[in-house]
Amino acid sequence: MKTQLIKTAAAALLSLTLWNCNTTDPEPVPYESGVYVINSGNFLDNNGSISFLPRNSSTVITDIFNAANARTFTGGVQDYTEIDGKGVVLVDNSTAGQDKVEIVLTGTFKSVKTLAAPDVENPRFVVRAGNNKAYVTCWGATGSGANFFANPGYVLVLDLAAQTITKRIPMPKAANRMVVIGNEVYVGSDAGDPTLVVINTDTDELKQPAITVGANTNPIAADANNQLWAYSGATNEMVRINPANKVIAARLKVGGSPKSPGPFAISADRRTFYFVNSFYDPADNFRQKGETYRFNIDATSIPAATPFINRLFIGLDVDPQTGTIYAGITPSFKQAGFVLRYKPDTGILTDSVRGEIAPSRFFFR
Amino acid sequence: MAQRELAQRELTPSDSVQRELGTTLSVVTVRATPPERFLAGQKIQRVDSTTLLQFRFGSLTDLLQFNTPLAFKNYGPGQLATVSFRGTSANHTAVLWNDIDINQPNLGQTDFSTLPVAGFDRLAVQYGSSASVVGSGAVGGSVLLGSAGEWRSGIGVSLGQQVSSFRNNQTQLGVRYGSSLGKNWQLSGKTFAYRSQYTNDYPYKERRNYFVEQSQTAQRGLVQDVFLRDKRGRQVSVNAWLTDNDLVLTPQDTVSRERTRTQSARLLASYEANALTLRLGWIRDRFDYAKGNFDLPDRTRTDRFLARAEREFPLWRGNIYVQTVLRVGGEWSHYRTVTDGYGGQLITENRQNLYVLLRIQTPRWLVSANIRQAYVTRFNPPLTPSLGIEHKLIQQEKLILTAKASIGRSYRVPTLNERYWLVLGNPNLRPENGLNMEAGLTTTVKLTNNLALTADATVYRNRVDDWSYWNPDLGYRVENLQLVVAQGGELNTTLTYARDGWQTGIRAGYALTRSAQQRAYNVYAQDVVGKQLPYVPIHNGTLNAWIARNKNRLTVQMQTSSRRYITFDESQYFNGTVLANVLLETTLRVGSVPIRVQGQVNNVFDTLLFSVKRNALPGRNFSINLLINFPFIKP
Repeated sequence: MKTQLIKTAAAALLSLTLWNCNTTDPEPVPYESGVYVINSGNFLDNNGSISFLPRNSSTVITDIFNAANARTFTGGVQDYTEIDGKGVVLVDNSTAGQDKVEIVLTGTFKSVKTLAAPDVENPRFVVRAGNNKAYVTCWGATGSGANFFANPGYVLVLDLAAQTITKRIPMPKAANRMVVIGNEVYVGSDAGDPTLVVINTDTDELKQPAITVGANTNPIAADANNQLWAYSGATNEMVRINPANKVIAARLKVGGSPKSPGPFAISADRRTFYFVNSFYDPADNFRQKGETYRFNIDATSIPAATPFINRLFIGLDVDPQTGTIYAGITPSFKQAGFVLRYKPDTGILTDSVRGEIAPSRFFFR
Repeated sequence: MAQRELAQRELTPSDSVQRELGTTLSVVTVRATPPERFLAGQKIQRVDSTTLLQFRFGSLTDLLQFNTPLAFKNYGPGQLATVSFRGTSANHTAVLWNDIDINQPNLGQTDFSTLPVAGFDRLAVQYGSSASVVGSGAVGGSVLLGSAGEWRSGIGVSLGQQVSSFRNNQTQLGVRYGSSLGKNWQLSGKTFAYRSQYTNDYPYKERRNYFVEQSQTAQRGLVQDVFLRDKRGRQVSVNAWLTDNDLVLTPQDTVSRERTRTQSARLLASYEANALTLRLGWIRDRFDYAKGNFDLPDRTRTDRFLARAEREFPLWRGNIYVQTVLRVGGEWSHYRTVTDGYGGQLITENRQNLYVLLRIQTPRWLVSANIRQAYVTRFNPPLTPSLGIEHKLIQQEKLILTAKASIGRSYRVPTLNERYWLVLGNPNLRPENGLNMEAGLTTTVKLTNNLALTADATVYRNRVDDWSYWNPDLGYRVENLQLVVAQGGELNTTLTYARDGWQTGIRAGYALTRSAQQRAYNVYAQDVVGKQLPYVPIHNGTLNAWIARNKNRLTVQMQTSSRRYITFDESQYFNGTVLANVLLETTLRVGSVPIRVQGQVNNVFDTLLFSVKRNALPGRNFSINLLINFPFIKP
């Protein structure tokens, strides 16, 4: 009887062990493939988040950083990108000195490092600038009124292997959007500086001279012909620049008062740009309205007569894998927004998914 | 209650009560204000002097949070704190000081962080709409602050000092004086000054990965009260309250630092006879906001001049069984504002009010019926009536049970910001209008000779239409867009036990608040219809428990609330919280000088609480309060 008992116990133990073996498979990666929706949140609420939307699902998984780390971002989420297994999240808090860069493991969103003030102040955009290397534009501390851009901006160079800041590259005011072409990063600005600054990613040094385009120019994307497109805010122009010789090849009027263009997105084949033209309609009690247009990279003008999609979006991007257009709707900054998916060729709405507060950018993996 | 006593109470609206203040017992004359007398059927909570004394170094926010179901939207220590009363918004609570509205007129609300408890002698909270008696903005309820004269001859000095964690400190210096003036007149006065410095020098930058915001607040204030009364019950009084609140966010950053300076001067002269009340008031509110360079702030300057006359007519005087009083009043106020956000030019407007208040009292019944019409430059709010009834169902020596019910309209004249703010303001707004109904029971039970119970239960429904909304669809232009229905109930009970010099008691309150927007004014508003308004917890509880013997007292204060949504669609929220403080008080004597010592542990459980801006509020912290009441020197 006693041996029987021991045998039974041993068998039970063995089966338990085997069962345990079965459950110690590698942890499934929850956010392997799909779309990260970057929700900027409401400014003073500091409640930005990132949600995950699978390509074939109409349900978002909300606040995946909080789910993985049991804490929220504590700021608006400005931008996100992934570099060699690490995700870089830019978090902008309404209070000076409380901004940060969260470095997470891709796929699981577990935080591995938080970089904070004084290095990080008003972070704007992040791009991959080489192996384990990120560039982050920052405005620095901002004041008010005419003194808003009180400090020169800068680019932080991040080493994602060591999770450290290796360099701070001074910029003219308000370093903003970036586009990477080859070993060069083009940096735009919003503070009246007329140039696009070029940084050599091999040396992390400025290439002199910067390209003079016009005030408030920000790079948008490189097209199928590897030409750089930028939007110049002061003149309302899309500017095409040859990155080889830094010569401006074309200037095309876009939007224009009272309609202001943006955001912009480029199609999966990099031959078509989409953009939103937004305005406050004085005939309708100044309701904010918008229309979304598109133009080909070979176009000689950008007509904005018949909208491709007759809607206002605060976020607009294209999935480079499927070409699907992702658009963000913000009914108010105090309620969840929506992510709308459109077919790229026809502009037909595929579905509409309730997301989080102010879905303003998308990252596709 | 004896008929004669009842008659006396009614004929002289002054009500002498014994009040314990520190170590001395003094006679304080309290004249009941119209909101306290003409709102039959509605709940009024008078905060006792012990509680006022315990919060003597605190802000009104702290006191109300631990003793009432009022929910606060708090931006951080020493920063903006606005109220939600019974599920309404910050500009739906009237704040009265000596019976005049002191809400800041540009915003139509009060920043409760700028009102320290030391600045007033009396505090009552009146629940539910009372626009017929109070006027515009008394929609969710009213907070009633008041000064009180102390009719003793002589002079007494008090000195208070608080030292707290994070290098915070506060000093108070007060003088009370009284004297007879001739045969018939008596004078009572108080001069009181306070200053506090909240350095907020936290030993940590974060709590559990949430930032603790760097800020500093300096507060100063001066209270000057003079009361003169004669034997016939006439009283002349002058009250002044100056407050100066200077808040700096991120002081270490000279580019991004933000300064908010809020200064108010409130001056009131009153003449009260038995049947006549005259008031003349002047309130100046200055508000400066600057970022970076503090020399160039955005400015708001608003003056308000006020004149009010009320006369009371006892009706059917012969009938001693039914006491009937009719009070007729009129108020004129003149607003002058110079606000950068309105373009910087002088804007003026007049507001007039006429009202008739009726109170009928029998030994068992109390009825009030009121009506008010306000006349505002280009905005004439609706006629605002109210009716309230109280009936003593049981009136025995050991048990009193009273049933109450009331119904009343309310209104809110749009704030100056809502009308005049450049581009976004809307001069064509309509006044909001509401309908409040409530019913309740209150009881006082003497269970044994040592054990007493008071309890009340109230249910209400408050519907506010044309609720104004800064509409994001229109670039945040303000519109009369929403319809909000707030309904809920409150339960309060106090149990006290006294024996052999020991006193112990427990006071508990629970409030259920369901408040939601009900109108689908556009396709996305469907997502918010029926959802709880942001920052209004559905469940709120307070608990005060104490045990005292002689001058020693141990008190535990607790406040708990359920989750607070931060969005209109309930998609995001802050978790529910439990906050607890422990207070230990005693009075020492140095010679003949009593020194009241209060040690306090705040946030005993080190709970992680968030400000509206998602910053961690400070963890467990300590303070020591000293209050020296030098003996009254008699002439």
